[in-house]
Parts: sequence; C-alpha cells; structure tokens
Amino acid sequence: MDWTILQFLAPAIVASLVIVGMHAYLGLHVVERGVIFVDLSLAQIASLGAAMAVWQGYEPQDPAVYWMSLGFTLIGAALFATVKGHAARIPQEAIIGIAYAVASAAVILTLSKAAGEAEHLRDMLVGNILSVQWPDVWLTSLIYLAIGVFHYVFRRRFLDISIDADAVAARGVSVRFWDFLFYASFGFVVTRSVAIAGVLLVFCYLIVPSVGGMLFAERIGTRLAIGWVMGTVVSLLGMYFSVQFDLPTGATIACTFGLVLAAMAAARPLLRRRA
Amino acid sequence: MRMLVRPVVAAMAAVALTAVTATAQSKVNVVTSTEDLASIAREVGGDRVNIIALARGVQDPHFVEPKPSFILAVNRADLYIAVGRELEIGWLPPLLTSSRNARIQPGARGYLDASLNVRILDIPTGQITRAMGDVHPLGNPHYWLDSGNGRRIAQAIRDKLSELAPDGRASFAQRYDDFDRRLAAAEKRWDAALAPYKGTKLVTYHRSWPNFMDRFGLEVIGYVEPKPGIPPSPSHILALIEEMKRQMVKVIVVEPYFSLRTPQSIASQVGGRVLVLAPSVGGAKEATDYIQLFEYNVRLLAAALKDVTGK
Repeated sequence: MDWTILQFLAPAIVASLVIVGMHAYLGLHVVERGVIFVDLSLAQIASLGAAMAVWQGYEPQDPAVYWMSLGFTLIGAALFATVKGHAARIPQEAIIGIAYAVASAAVILTLSKAAGEAEHLRDMLVGNILSVQWPDVWLTSLIYLAIGVFHYVFRRRFLDISIDADAVAARGVSVRFWDFLFYASFGFVVTRSVAIAGVLLVFCYLIVPSVGGMLFAERIGTRLAIGWVMGTVVSLLGMYFSVQFDLPTGATIACTFGLVLAAMAAARPLLRRRA
Repeated sequence: MRMLVRPVVAAMAAVALTAVTATAQSKVNVVTSTEDLASIAREVGGDRVNIIALARGVQDPHFVEPKPSFILAVNRADLYIAVGRELEIGWLPPLLTSSRNARIQPGARGYLDASLNVRILDIPTGQITRAMGDVHPLGNPHYWLDSGNGRRIAQAIRDKLSELAPDGRASFAQRYDDFDRRLAAAEKRWDAALAPYKGTKLVTYHRSWPNFMDRFGLEVIGYVEPKPGIPPSPSHILALIEEMKRQMVKVIVVEPYFSLRTPQSIASQVGGRVLVLAPSVGGAKEATDYIQLFEYNVRLLAAALKDVTGK
C-alpha cells in the first residue's frame, strides 16, 4: 500500500469520523422510532428545494440554493412531525415513502424545466467523500457540535418520545413540538452530510451502527458506544479497501458496513454462549 | 540474521527508489480527463511522456466517480489536459483541489484546456434565456469528434510539451508531423466513405455528435433525450417520430452508455434502425486510438447509411 495517499485522504477520514459521531447517535432514535427511511426522504426533499432554486435562475453554487434546500427540509420536518398516524392507522413509513417518491419525481420535473447545467446539479447535491475539503470538514464539525449539544441538553425528552411517545403525551408534553425539533435538527444534519458524503453512505452511517449495537446490547448507552466503535472501524477499513483495490470510496465503505455487520451477527451466538 | 536483512532491504529500496525517480525525471507525467486526449498526447509525446487517462472511453465523461488512484495520479502530474467547456465541471474541480498539486491548477503552466484553440459549435449568441432549454454557455464540449479539432489539440499538446520539456522539442515536432500526415491520409478515406451520403439526416441521442456530423456533411434534425438524465416527455417523442417520418430519417445514433429502449421503440415506429457509435477512444473494442476511433465510427455509419439510403 502506498502510504502517501494518506495525506490526501485525511479530510475524508476526519469527515467520516465526524459523520459517525453524529449519525450513530441519531440512528438510535431513527431505529427506535421505526422511521428507517426518513433520512432518504428528507434528503430528497432538500434536493427538491435546491432544484427549485436553480429553476428560479440561481447558480448551483449560490447560497440561496442552500437556504432554499434547508427551508424545504424544515417543511418536510414539520410534515413528518404533524402527519403522524398515531390514531389514523397509517404507518409513518408509508408517509415517509410517499414523500420520498413524490419529492424525487418533483426533482426530475423541476430539472426538466431548468435552463442548462441541470445535469451537473445532481453531482453537486450528492457529494463524494473523496473530494471533501478541509473548510467543509470544519464547518460540518461546528454544525454537528451545536446540534449535538442541543440533543445532549434535551436527551431525556428526545429519548422518552422515541421509545414511548404515548406515555410522554399522557404527561401533557407537546409531542408534536418536540418531534418537529427532532426532525428539523435531523434534517439540518442530513442535508449537510448528504452534500459531503452522498445519500448511500449517509444512510449506512445512520442505520448500520445502531443495528450493530442492538445485536449486543439492551442499554442505549452501550448501544451507542458499540455503534461509535463500529462506525469508526468500518470507516477506516473501508478507506483502506478503497485505496488497496482502487475502488470508489463511498460505495466501498457502504459495502464494508454490510460485511462487518454480517460478521458481527455471525459472532453473536458465540459470544452469547460464553457469557 | 534479522539485523542483516533490514539494512539490505533498505538499501535495495533506496536503489529502486532512485531508479524510479531517475526515469521519472526525464519523462513528463501527463494526466488527461479522457482517453481521446490521452491517445493524442501519446501520438505527440511518444516515450518521452507517461500518460494516465482518468475517464474510461465507455464512461459518460459528464459523470465520473473519482477513485483514490486519481488523486495520486493528479498529484504526480506535470501536465493535466482537460477537455474543458464545462464537460468535467461535476468532478474535476474538487479532484484538482484535493490533489494539492500547484503545477496543474487551472491557470498554471501545467494545466492545458484542450478546447482553447479548437473549433467549437453550438455557442449560444446573445442573451441566454431559460426558454432555450439545455444550453452550454461555452458551446458544445464534444468537439474532439471532428478530426480537424484532433489536429488542433495535437498542436496545443506539442507546444505545451515543448514548453515543459524543451529538450524534447524536436521529437515532439517530428511526431506531430507524422501524426498529422497519417491523420490527413485517413481523413481522405473517411471523407470518401461518407461522401455519397452528404446531406443525409439523422437523429442522435445526446448532443455528442455535432462536430462529427458537421465534418462529414451530415445533418442532425433532433435528439432523443433533450437533457441528459431527464427522460423525454411523450410529446417530445411523438414530435420526434412525426419529424423523422416527414423527413424520412431512418438512423438514430446512440452513445454506448445510454439505454437503447427508447431509441429502439422510436426506430421501430419509423422503420429505421439504432446505431451505437463510440464517442471516445475505448468506447468500443476496435476504437483503440484516436485514428481507429474515426475508422470504427465511419465504417459503421457508412454501412448503416448504405443500407437505409440504398446508395
């Protein structure tokens, strides 16, 4: 292996570790709530916002495009917080899936009406972790830090709602308001991380570590610790494979997640017997 | 034993390393965006250059997935040759930044935009408005498909290589002259093969072929997919079928990286045929270098046109 590559991969490695830190935590909530595909849906709604801005004549690099996509994400967050089928028998995954399909199709329609350069927009929305630059890494770290502190302060409230929303509602807490805060902060994170790492990778970072944690532990804290370790190991291993076999980095990390999770599941019975 | 092995290995490594740098010093490391540019650079540079092409000929050069080896290759490059005209806008700028190689940044001596002195088609004139649809403000980036432009690219590469490696000037000039001669001889053959079909009308999938068709006097009357990645609307396809029937157009040219389903259904409606041509070196097995690329496309196109026109 050629170690000089490391100096070029440094921003990508740091970025992936920052993403692990935030997403392994949010993933616990997402899996606990059973809204597995909410990040894909919010990411698509964010793309729709960006596509709308480009259609309105903004350059893809214009800050207005980012604000527009953030605005759409907040609308999506409000939608997921309000249209909850608690009473209505409609599974929330159905609403999330519908939002995903309609938003994806609306992106196609919007881009078909936009002038030139529309074909490049997709690349700009869906980032590639290999080409992440240091300023992006620092900005992302700051945003995640702020959101992490916010979640740490209100961790009990968020967790109680994720685990048993009805019990919290019975205590007279506005679940809707807290759900909006959850989805809004979540949308903030996802819009950012999809822009630097791409949809596929962000989904893996969100779901796989928390599933890996569930294999071995009941307690939330332990699961989170397992998720963080797993995410870190997989990121580094995936980068190594990507360099060693010269494969596209994002897709390699995603497949490494699958391999490591399978290995963990296979090792589980052995560990259980010994315990 | 162990104490002996270590220094021996280290010494061997040092020798190997100096050997590598010694040969690398006398050669110019060239990285190109596409295999077309690599092929032309090879014609001019010969064994005085090392050449790496990033996008494969079977790939759509608008969309290229960067790999770790790309960063290393660009980091070590003395010269980067880009297609330009915003063709690589989706993937090249972050790659050049990540490579942290000051020699090949746009504007530096080691960055060559191959499109600067070629003949560019489809440059929009006047104000660009949204009503015009998909417009490249800098003109059509598929200019290498006119062999006249291939010659101009070769001249630009000859001049740039002579600037970067002055001791190779005579060799680059001589190799360019040789390429120019072979290209001119081949052009006579291609012009003759397609001469009977001058003025024939065609439809193409993407706007990759205006330079190629213009060179051989063929006329493109429409496109299957008005925008890359955006499926055509039913009314667009109906209008295209009507237009093809009215003007008796029988051939749809498709790039190898697009699905054949829509073109084939259109072709069956008008009683025509779909023809997959190679837009880049490496885009078909026979298209091994720049001259072979035209050789291949001209042969296939002439055979198809002979069939449908009966000439």
